Amino acid sequence: MTVAFLFLLAQVTPVNIAASPNADWLTYNGDYAATRHSPLKQITPENAKNLVAKWVFRLDGAKKLEASPIVHGGLMYVSDTNQIYALDARSGRQVWRYRATGAKGSRVNRGTAILGDNVYFSTADCHLIALNRLTGNLVFDSEFASFEKGYTTSIAPLALKNGILVGVAGGGSGQRGFVASINYKTGKEQWRFWTVPGKGEPGFESWGGFPAEMGGAPTWTTGSYDAALNTIYWPTGNPWPDFYGGRRPGDNLYSDSVVALDGDTGKLKWHFQFTPHDVWDWDANENLVLIDASFRGRPRKLLIQANRNGFYYVLDRVTGEFLHAKPFVKKLDWTTGLDDKGRPRIIPEKIPTPAGTKVCPSVRGASNWMSPSYNPATGLLYVVTLEQCDIIIASAKEPVPNSGFRGTGNEGIPTEPGKFYLRALDAVSGDIKWEYPMPGPGVMWAGTVSTAGGVVFTGDDDGNLVAVDAKTGKDLWHFATGRSLFASPITYMVDGKQYVAIAAESDVFTFALFGQ
Amino acid sequence: MRFLLTLLFAIAAFAQLPRDLASIDSGRQTYMGACSGCHGATGEGSQGPSLHSGRVARLGNQALINVIKNGLPGTTMPNFPLADDKLRQLAAFLRTLTSPAVAAPRTGDAAKGRALFFGTANCTGCHMINGQGGHPGPDLSNIGAERTLPQLSESLRKPSARIAEGFRTATATLRNGSVIKGVAKNYNNYGAQILDATGRLHLLQTGEIAKLDIVDTSIMPPVADANDLLAFLSSLSLRPYEGAAQ
Repeated sequence: MTVAFLFLLAQVTPVNIAASPNADWLTYNGDYAATRHSPLKQITPENAKNLVAKWVFRLDGAKKLEASPIVHGGLMYVSDTNQIYALDARSGRQVWRYRATGAKGSRVNRGTAILGDNVYFSTADCHLIALNRLTGNLVFDSEFASFEKGYTTSIAPLALKNGILVGVAGGGSGQRGFVASINYKTGKEQWRFWTVPGKGEPGFESWGGFPAEMGGAPTWTTGSYDAALNTIYWPTGNPWPDFYGGRRPGDNLYSDSVVALDGDTGKLKWHFQFTPHDVWDWDANENLVLIDASFRGRPRKLLIQANRNGFYYVLDRVTGEFLHAKPFVKKLDWTTGLDDKGRPRIIPEKIPTPAGTKVCPSVRGASNWMSPSYNPATGLLYVVTLEQCDIIIASAKEPVPNSGFRGTGNEGIPTEPGKFYLRALDAVSGDIKWEYPMPGPGVMWAGTVSTAGGVVFTGDDDGNLVAVDAKTGKDLWHFATGRSLFASPITYMVDGKQYVAIAAESDVFTFALFGQ
Repeated sequence: MRFLLTLLFAIAAFAQLPRDLASIDSGRQTYMGACSGCHGATGEGSQGPSLHSGRVARLGNQALINVIKNGLPGTTMPNFPLADDKLRQLAAFLRTLTSPAVAAPRTGDAAKGRALFFGTANCTGCHMINGQGGHPGPDLSNIGAERTLPQLSESLRKPSARIAEGFRTATATLRNGSVIKGVAKNYNNYGAQILDATGRLHLLQTGEIAKLDIVDTSIMPPVADANDLLAFLSSLSLRPYEGAAQ
């Protein structure tokens, strides 16, 4: 069978997306539940040693690719700052390229969405671009936030029903976060949820009068969706200014939270705030993974997150009830623990001061936006973690948006370099079942993909794509890309062959079993 | 202080280039007489370097004028001690070689051009603008911002002079006997990616292809009287044009 026949298939429907990942990989995380777990099992712990490079594609002008590609019907879509490529997923040959000529801003880009006959990506200056998936022809270019007002974005959009969901940056520069749904055909906005309540709305009082327009609580990573509950789960970032909270007394809702939104209207169903009144720039933008599991003897619909603040959280995703949390890093010193509602008891000495305060985890966090993955067969969440502390310095300067002011900042501790691990957490208890230490100290933001073959792929901080055994963490295979890794791998199948791909600085690297 | 302001004003005024067609045409005439021998009739370069390069585009107006006026010592570029207004007209013409068409003065009627594009000229059989039109030809939604006026003019009058990457005419005969005709989005010794006339994309590998013919002739007919179409296409810019280097 040639791939050509695949194009006889109809357009991409919400049903197709709900069935992803299969041979295709149709969203940033592969699935709406953000498990990044593929049913493909051609690659196993026994044969992973036979993986070889199939092709490498260089994106012109790319310096720091952070995208997870998506794959549909033999075409791979990979995005970079203000540009997107469509590649033949078997050969890595370019089919088309679209550059948003005149787009402003140079923020990185984390990926694309696909629905109907279109693929979608966001420019750094907050335009949602819809392109015909086969030709790259422009369908619409729709601005959803004002670059002139300081908005930028790196979002990988999420296609949901008839909408394309987008979010924005702004936690470091004083914009008001939001999630918006843009009609997939017309480019018109359908609804918007502001993550900082306006005057008169519930939660406004949690800012002590600080202007909502500057509040931050950005929405820069892709959310999750439960079709049965018709609920969108979107993670939010830090309140602004990042490190000085004196002018925003209160919990600063809905910063550092998960907001559960109605899938049709974007109306708030519930929220849970991981770090109230964040003064450490921890965000809560890590992936929200939706799993169904037995919790304390009864089946529950759970939402789990390995948060940047160092705790692994288990919530009931129907009600938002806090069920359980446990540290997944050793370097954690800002709290004596959480109360039975999940609210942290903060140690006052860990509030940043002008003289500098040592805090663990670091600003980069115990984990960050690098994608974890969850294998239902092992019950393990595979999460890249960082053991590190920082010195955080706070100052009370008058906050002016877009001035570079973040309430001051953080410094690393040269004698205590950070160390990365891939950790396998029991998804219910949060216990660390095994860990794969990385050579370190290094800089990387690579995440993971899990496969039904029993292999987990991750990047390490030495530029290797690594395959480990899902049950034991045993090192099975690696490939030195010669690049630093700032993206999460994916897996897909074309013509009966399973591929694994990862974007690395300027290139996409793709692998499959030798002889397959 | 007043002297400084006067000086700044004088520099700013000097560095501003005329935008009217008569001045640009006068600049073109100067170019044809003094410059085209080395830089080619359309600035494409021959003995002298191409004037379409980013290096030229990034020169400020005053710097560009200075190069013409003073020459480039150590190279074969001589000095042209022309009158100031002639220099500005020449620089204004040179800008049209590198600045996007949306920024260039136009003679045609864009509204008539639009009517032609979506009507009798049948451009939408192959080209698309903001989702309206056909697939095989290049998308033109932002073409005024991506091409210069001379480039657009050439594409209309001589479509085969320069075929954009991904739009060569291709015929692939497959081993199973079927024939695919369309444009080659890409091809090499190991495969081809062909978009056919019905809008289907064929991702082919060597083993599937018996014969691949690629033709460097555009299927687009030349447009003789292109002024109105040129004006319309030049106006197509997704974002407001914010000016060239000053």
